Amino acid sequence: MAKMNANVKQVVIAGGGTAGWLSAAILAADRAAVASADFHITLVESPDIAPIGVGEGTWPSMRATLKRIGVSETDFIRECSASFKQGSKFVGWTHGQSETYYHPFSLPQGYDEVNLAAAWQAFSEQVSFADAVSAQSTLCEHGLAPKQIATPEYVPVANYGYHLDSAKFCNFLQKHCVEKLGVTHVLANIAGINSQANGDIASLSLQTGDRIDGDLFIDCTGFTSLLLGQHYQIPLVSQQDILFNDTALAAQVPYGRVDAPIASATLATAQTAGWIWDIGLPHRRGVGYVYSSAHTTREKAEQQLRDYIAIGLGAQHAGTLAVRELTINPGYRQKLWHKNCVGIGIAAGFIEPLEASALVLVELSATMLSDQFPVDREAMNILAKRFNDKFLTQWQRIVEFLKLHYILTQRSDSDYWRDHCAQGTIPERLQELVILWRHQCPWHHDGRFIDDMFPPASFQYVYYGMGGKTQLAANRSQPKGGVDKAMAEFQNNRRKIEQLLGSLPNNRELIDKIMQYGLPKI
Amino acid sequence: MQNHAVLNPVDHKDIKIVTQRSERYGDCVIATLAFAFEFRNIQSDYPILFQKDSNTGKFFPVALLGLKAKENLFLNDQGWDASYIPASILRQPFMVGFQGEKPIVTIDMDSPRVNKIEGEALFDEMGEGTDFLKNVTSMLNELHGAYQDTEVFIDQLLELELLESLALKLMLADGLEHELTGFYTINEDKLGELSADALGKLHNQNFLQPLFMTVASLSRLANLVDRKNKRLVC
Repeated sequence: MAKMNANVKQVVIAGGGTAGWLSAAILAADRAAVASADFHITLVESPDIAPIGVGEGTWPSMRATLKRIGVSETDFIRECSASFKQGSKFVGWTHGQSETYYHPFSLPQGYDEVNLAAAWQAFSEQVSFADAVSAQSTLCEHGLAPKQIATPEYVPVANYGYHLDSAKFCNFLQKHCVEKLGVTHVLANIAGINSQANGDIASLSLQTGDRIDGDLFIDCTGFTSLLLGQHYQIPLVSQQDILFNDTALAAQVPYGRVDAPIASATLATAQTAGWIWDIGLPHRRGVGYVYSSAHTTREKAEQQLRDYIAIGLGAQHAGTLAVRELTINPGYRQKLWHKNCVGIGIAAGFIEPLEASALVLVELSATMLSDQFPVDREAMNILAKRFNDKFLTQWQRIVEFLKLHYILTQRSDSDYWRDHCAQGTIPERLQELVILWRHQCPWHHDGRFIDDMFPPASFQYVYYGMGGKTQLAANRSQPKGGVDKAMAEFQNNRRKIEQLLGSLPNNRELIDKIMQYGLPKI
Repeated sequence: MQNHAVLNPVDHKDIKIVTQRSERYGDCVIATLAFAFEFRNIQSDYPILFQKDSNTGKFFPVALLGLKAKENLFLNDQGWDASYIPASILRQPFMVGFQGEKPIVTIDMDSPRVNKIEGEALFDEMGEGTDFLKNVTSMLNELHGAYQDTEVFIDQLLELELLESLALKLMLADGLEHELTGFYTINEDKLGELSADALGKLHNQNFLQPLFMTVASLSRLANLVDRKNKRLVC
């Protein structure tokens, strides 16, 4: 019988993908000084199920996360075949041609003081929004790294996250958790889930006959959603009527030569029924087509993917590459924390990898869980409510923000793009925002929380990147000196670009140097 | 730019080396590489700090000679005004190069010290190395080993997290505040907290002396400021 005031000491994580190991690392590192009798983590991983291995792009938040769990950036880059990501580059989303725009990781110049989007309207024909307000799109176009070899670990010159090999990342985290953070790793299949009288999970029975007791269970079992979905029957709230993509074909693509440039941004190229991601790692690219199975066939999709790969690799080689198929049920669980069970990662929800929201959600979830860790069972109910509140909202925000990428398209070459623009598929809040943005630029009032995943800057990059227009209304308030301030910031940005172009190495050069020398810690 | 050639009695038979210290011979530098073995001598005149190589991100120790780029406060019309001149200055324009594994002497042919008219000859009429060259060669041999020792010393400092960035704001005689950036120093709080084990290890590696010489050398910053102020007032 669970006592309401019994302390939460034993955490059991089911599933050993990136979600499981990242959660374990964050919780364990934050309690490194706590005696193991007062806090202990056991991670149970099936020896038969390979991790999904999607999520090869991170947000800049991963720098803070890696630092928090106590790993060196040099080790991480070397062991996870990581490279630097400075944002996303979208190709062909507006007209289906070769037009591009950037969503860089850096906020617009002077973001705390001035909304440059308003001042940029007058120059929208001459310069793209991202180029005008940030140096980062230019750095990406030149394939430059976000820092120098003498820049300390985790310190940016330009804001950055990573591209990484997710299988290697799993192993890297596992090693750190087991060897440095005292996490117990159990390799076994879960045979049963045992309940307490109040419906809490008491323990997991393993096929080996062992039993693992716990006070708090974290479901990181991916699409299986063993605890949250199967055991507790928490339904999935499907988002497929908004974001249609439900299938992904993924391939690992070799470089033509060992010194080929490594792209500084994730490339997202629009297709007739979805889009192709292209992620540059030091030793290979990860390329995949995520599409709507209602709008194309598997054969056509695979051909489009191979055609894309053939551009760099030649048709012959592209035709023989192994392609892996992945089915996505886009959506999230109706509750993410139920009783004494929290879902983190795909077990909680998954949506097409546009804007790389998967890993960052794992980081945010595990961080909130760790920062507001329940002292006892009574606190758990309150914190669960908070957690559900926050992350169900985050999920809605993500869905809205991803949908924004589609609804301004002028493509009418396929039903896929026409359907995306159909009023009934657009969440109401997003419809309202876009109506407002016709006459006022996206700004801080458009967010709800200070820690919204996508700041108004992101709305700006995508809205104006897709060709959205804002006709500033005559009755708008004009901040005093606003225009002068904006002009000065545009000027600052041009100077910054000049200076960075002259001082940053390219991605490949920096990765090579990190392999050879490592980054300094200070 | 440097133009290093492998030193040999055929190509460099008539070469002479100017040994005077002056701005025109490239001595006007804010800092110069320091080797752990010479820290005791260096600290009698100069602060010992650490800098990062912009090409590798690796730290190396330096003797601080000035307070801004291309300033050497020890240089005057008479030459170098200090009791000790760092080895990395004295070795100019020679360097250790490698042919395979074998260390060899190279010479920077673009150095203004290199000429055929004045200074110390490298070879005599018979093509034999002069005493000057013999001294240079033996110094370079020592420096090669000393450089590797110094790298190990730095690795130890980093492992013990003893280095910290130095943010120095100086008020000078002209009333202007002067900032010195890009240098690192020993974190004395951390040094004070080192365990007996860590200290024992440093002792066994003969690193305690250079470590404390580095700490002591910070007092020489006042000398630099004095020299700078005298120039500003003149």
